[in-house]
Amino acid sequence: MALYQFSGLILLAPLLAFAVIIFGTRPWDLLSRDKSGKAINRAGRAEAGPYGGEGDSTSSHADAHAVEAHGSAGDDHGEHGQDDDDDPKVPYLTRGAKVSGYVAIAIMALACIYSWVLLISTLIDPQTLPPQGITVFQYEWLVQGSASYVVAFQLDHLAIAMMVVVTTVSLLVQFYSQGYMEDSAGYARFFSYLSLFAFSMLVIVFARNFLVIFVGWELVGLSSYLLIGFWINKRAKPEEQRPSPANAALQAFVVNRVGDVGFIIGIMILFTSTGTFEFSQLVTRVQTMDKTLLTVAMILVFCGAIGKSAQVPLHVWLPSAMEGPTPVSALIHAATMVAAGVYMVARTYPLFAAADPAAFEVVAWVGAITATFAATIALVQTDFKRVLAFSTISQLGYMFVGLGVAGPELQSGPGMFHLFTHAFFKALLFLGAGSVLHSLHHATHKEVQDMRLMGGLATRMPITAITWLIATLAISGFPFFSGFFSKETIIGLTFERGDWGLYALTLGTAGLTAFYMLRAYIQAFGGKGGRVGGLWGGTYRGVGEPHESPRTITIPLILLAIPSVIAGYWVGFFTYLNPNSPSLDIGQMLATPDTWIGVVVSLVGLAVAYVLYARVEPAKLHSVVQNNVVLRTLHRILYNRYYIDELYDLFVRYVVLGISHIEQAFDTYIIDGLVNGAARAVTTLGRDTSKVETGRVQTYMIGFFGGIAVLAVIVFVLVTYVRG
Amino acid sequence: MLTLNHFLVLGAILFCIGLYGAISKRNAIAVLMGIEIMLNAVNITMVGFSFFDQVRPYSTHLTGQIFAIFIITVAAAEAAVALAMIIAIYRKRDTVDVGEIDMMKW
Repeated sequence: MALYQFSGLILLAPLLAFAVIIFGTRPWDLLSRDKSGKAINRAGRAEAGPYGGEGDSTSSHADAHAVEAHGSAGDDHGEHGQDDDDDPKVPYLTRGAKVSGYVAIAIMALACIYSWVLLISTLIDPQTLPPQGITVFQYEWLVQGSASYVVAFQLDHLAIAMMVVVTTVSLLVQFYSQGYMEDSAGYARFFSYLSLFAFSMLVIVFARNFLVIFVGWELVGLSSYLLIGFWINKRAKPEEQRPSPANAALQAFVVNRVGDVGFIIGIMILFTSTGTFEFSQLVTRVQTMDKTLLTVAMILVFCGAIGKSAQVPLHVWLPSAMEGPTPVSALIHAATMVAAGVYMVARTYPLFAAADPAAFEVVAWVGAITATFAATIALVQTDFKRVLAFSTISQLGYMFVGLGVAGPELQSGPGMFHLFTHAFFKALLFLGAGSVLHSLHHATHKEVQDMRLMGGLATRMPITAITWLIATLAISGFPFFSGFFSKETIIGLTFERGDWGLYALTLGTAGLTAFYMLRAYIQAFGGKGGRVGGLWGGTYRGVGEPHESPRTITIPLILLAIPSVIAGYWVGFFTYLNPNSPSLDIGQMLATPDTWIGVVVSLVGLAVAYVLYARVEPAKLHSVVQNNVVLRTLHRILYNRYYIDELYDLFVRYVVLGISHIEQAFDTYIIDGLVNGAARAVTTLGRDTSKVETGRVQTYMIGFFGGIAVLAVIVFVLVTYVRG
Repeated sequence: MLTLNHFLVLGAILFCIGLYGAISKRNAIAVLMGIEIMLNAVNITMVGFSFFDQVRPYSTHLTGQIFAIFIITVAAAEAAVALAMIIAIYRKRDTVDVGEIDMMKW
């Protein structure tokens, strides 16, 4: 059917946008350059942003709109001080940059509409698309003997469900970036990277074999590297435990490599045992494969997902990745990067199922431990975005639990369902957080991410606050919001399986999630003294007058708030992914007591957060914690993220660098010694033999006739003795 | 009776004398004389072989003698060139000591 056959266009669309922007932006920019070329030059200058240096004089621009303020202040700043916010700013965007943004958004909108059409048409009549999917593009890359390496993209229900998430979230994030990045240099470049990111993720979504999924995997790594390090000139902030974006990008890339080692070994084991990369062929061929080897291979493949989806112990890159622009964080956390790991496990679900149950045990336990671990850290973080980062890690843990415990009936359904709902409310949370940071940046002319400098923002930015509250309730599993359905399904599954360890971890995490999310909400938007008992407004602890963000920012928030509420009512999700699965029975779910246990735990978390943060003065709470040894130690451990980063730091510094030093010594003294020694020997030989050349003709004559004499003797000996 | 060996021994002795003179003398003229002696030693050997090679017909064993004439001609030309060079070097450096003429080195 033609509708499905052309779905490869969805994949190509963001690539097209990327290429158009990359190759087209300079000509457009040149077209809109003013005669002196001043604006372009300032935008391109590496370190001297016109905004730099005025960070301390915040009051002078308090009410001026920032774009104009930047523009007027920029002319008389020859040099700049040690401002933190030293990524280059531009006074206004060139027409070319704006057009680039429009191009990216328009193309992504088309892709988004197409994927929604696909979703709706398959929902109306699931029979039109065969359950095993159809191949939309196939190219034989290389044939070597019996092995063939095929670049192939396929479309099935799983891909469509994921594609809808990716294109929708990408579209809203790109739309939002228009407002958020309004004064950033490299605006066009930002949009091209966003398009590349969406393309990379769609490669994974469409992948028909491990080869393609690995290519997409690395592409995602590359584009996340580019985007996290987008503000390349920003410096680290040690007092806030924040690395520089450049280092954060590098960390994300390197930590992912660690997981990828396992991933690629796992793929190679599967390939050498079965001779194919294709998922469909692997499913039949692994049945005859050695069970233990298959289990090992699948656990190694899961290692890749651990790295990409930031599970323990490779979670450290995700909080650091917060240094990227906030729209990027939203994209990474909701749809593109971390979802790749979950999607990959869902895609290879039959292979995991064919392996020993131990493989799923590993998946579920890693997920459950990560969920709890990250949730405890998120309890005490003061950085607005970092709370969300740990919440993402925690929710991804839920997804892996869902994949691990689903069993043959539901298969990848529950995990993907949580991924689906989570994508919307997590994107909303991040975009809302970005809205707050954007507003505070305009109000204070500083980059404020510390929640202790927020508070009472709800009355000042009501749209952001209300949408954020919706997302908070959704992620907390508050009844009848989307997170409730997906999360309670997973918790219920662990309960049904009778795995009490997993049940306790997931249930406890639900309470912790509710606590830290409401805590973050109250710290930012509410506080003691606000309306509705402290939930709405209150004392603002920062400087300046924050106000609601522009419409380009609030529209995506409102649009995302809708699926954050209703996405959970797609009861046919499990059946959609797998025709043999039963659909989600909301009535039965509400009638089951263990669902309400989860709800009660979440409500307790919400209540505790409400009492502690909306009813108590922050200073009082702080002094209570500081005066109790146990609480203070606990707080410090959690605040420092269990010192995992320091542990890795020590490991790298002493073990990795130690080995490197030994290898360097080997290189210097043995390898270089051999090479230099050979060179030195030749030099010495040459210098010594050059002494033979005296320039005196008689010396040469002696050599000549002496040589002839020696030859004569040899000939004489040979002729006399050897022949005779 | 005169045999080929007499010629060969005379040639060898003359060659060694010439070689000794060419190697050991410091004076460039003397070196040149040594080289001339060596050339003539070879001439004697050639002529000797030519004369005593009675196996082949007369018309073919003139080769050695013709060769000797060529060597004499070339040696004369060579002596002229070499003497001219020696004079040039003497004018330039005030010496004909081959031990001191050693510019042609690294």
